[in-house]
Amino acid sequence: MAINPVPDHVPPEMVRDFSLFTSPGMPPTPNGDPHAAVACAHDGPPIFYSPYNTQDGRGTWVITRAADQRKVLQDTETFSSHRSIFSSILGETWPTIPLELDPPAHGAFRSLLSPLLSPKRVTALEPAVRERAIALIDRITASATSCDVMKDFAFPFTVSIFLRFLGLPDQGLDTFVGWAKDLLHGDDVERPVAARKIVAFIDELATNRRKDPVDDLMTFIVQAQIEGRRLTDGEIRGIGVLVFVAGLDTVAAAIGFDLAYLARNLKDQELLRSEPARILLATEELLRAYPPIQLIRVATKDIDFEGAPIRKGDYVSCATMIANRDPEEFESPNTVDLAREHNRHAAFGYGPHRCLGSHLARREIVIGLEEWLARIPTFRIKEGTAPITCGGHVFGIENLILDWS
Amino acid sequence: MRIIVHNAKCQGHARCWAQAPDIFKLDDDGYILPGDIQVAEGEQLLASQGARSCPERALEVDRTSAARFEPAAMQPRTGEA
Repeated sequence: MAINPVPDHVPPEMVRDFSLFTSPGMPPTPNGDPHAAVACAHDGPPIFYSPYNTQDGRGTWVITRAADQRKVLQDTETFSSHRSIFSSILGETWPTIPLELDPPAHGAFRSLLSPLLSPKRVTALEPAVRERAIALIDRITASATSCDVMKDFAFPFTVSIFLRFLGLPDQGLDTFVGWAKDLLHGDDVERPVAARKIVAFIDELATNRRKDPVDDLMTFIVQAQIEGRRLTDGEIRGIGVLVFVAGLDTVAAAIGFDLAYLARNLKDQELLRSEPARILLATEELLRAYPPIQLIRVATKDIDFEGAPIRKGDYVSCATMIANRDPEEFESPNTVDLAREHNRHAAFGYGPHRCLGSHLARREIVIGLEEWLARIPTFRIKEGTAPITCGGHVFGIENLILDWS
Repeated sequence: MRIIVHNAKCQGHARCWAQAPDIFKLDDDGYILPGDIQVAEGEQLLASQGARSCPERALEVDRTSAARFEPAAMQPRTGEA
């Protein structure tokens, strides 16, 4: 992959050898802890320039402090969200919606989708989510005292909830997870192939739902109106692709990192098992310690931001896992404290693009942990195995073999 | 105690509501309803925890004397008969 040269306006002393893709702990690592690895960003200046910090090898400014990330992500006029992360894989420039639209265009789409994922709506989905978790865990415990949590629980659980929300059958699950994996962690050949498949799939789904409406998200989108008009094919695709990609990988990764933490910290595991009422607050702390995503914005104008000469067109990275380890925002940020209060973590971002699915995501994590701890006795990482973690645009964990024999 | 609500900053995290649903009321989209919140005695700790978990810092705790919520029944009685 080509590395862009550092632009002339970036002072050489502000360039750091740091990357969410290539720094130590970021490539696939057995028994890795990529979140702790990036916390080292706080040993240096609060803002610096990384010459290689996106999936396609671009340089970005790196905002390390939570307070500065809040400023960047709240100021959509200066820091635009329209950077075509998905469509650029195909050499195109259309936005995913509403994520890559800026206000005011953003508002109408966000208002359209917000009620579908509001706290109230998610409360109504809760029984179905719990039922799914219990069914999966009962199937595991019926025949084994060990399993691959990602393959047997985290992915089937989160993806099937999400497929139900989209209105898609469960049998597509493995195919969809495969696409997501190629898209997020694949090489330069795999990523465009996966992106093309996802686009074709969403386009076909939209066509089908227009012809034969059912009670699901895609039908809602093709029938919806904003500002007195139907949505264009491009807008429908932009929404469909975003919802599809956003729901496939992130929650499963979070559950994986959380269960890996509990498998290695038996006192905390026992605390949550014996006092399940603590899981709600503990989930927020685990979201703080192990968030999976970095957010990227592009400067719309020249601005000197907290001493950094950011110029129009520069990429600005707000990695949630870095903000969440900011010692100025969190006491002892590298310690997981399941009873932490006033936990203003950035796992779902700041500003108007706050993760639309955040309420569903945290319910899935809470319910997943509740049912797992209620049904599985003391579990550890299986002897002789080592979960593989990776950094990147979305942090991930695989091969998480837990044992409770 | 009073919670000053900066509505423009609310992005619908609903962290306040998760801690204290009876104090922090949301609209159908999950954003906080407009208007400052007078906090009753006995709910101050909960309200302050809810306010202090807002990632956007949209909720400000105001403990100045003007903000003190003192229902008539709780005011000190004087010696009048």
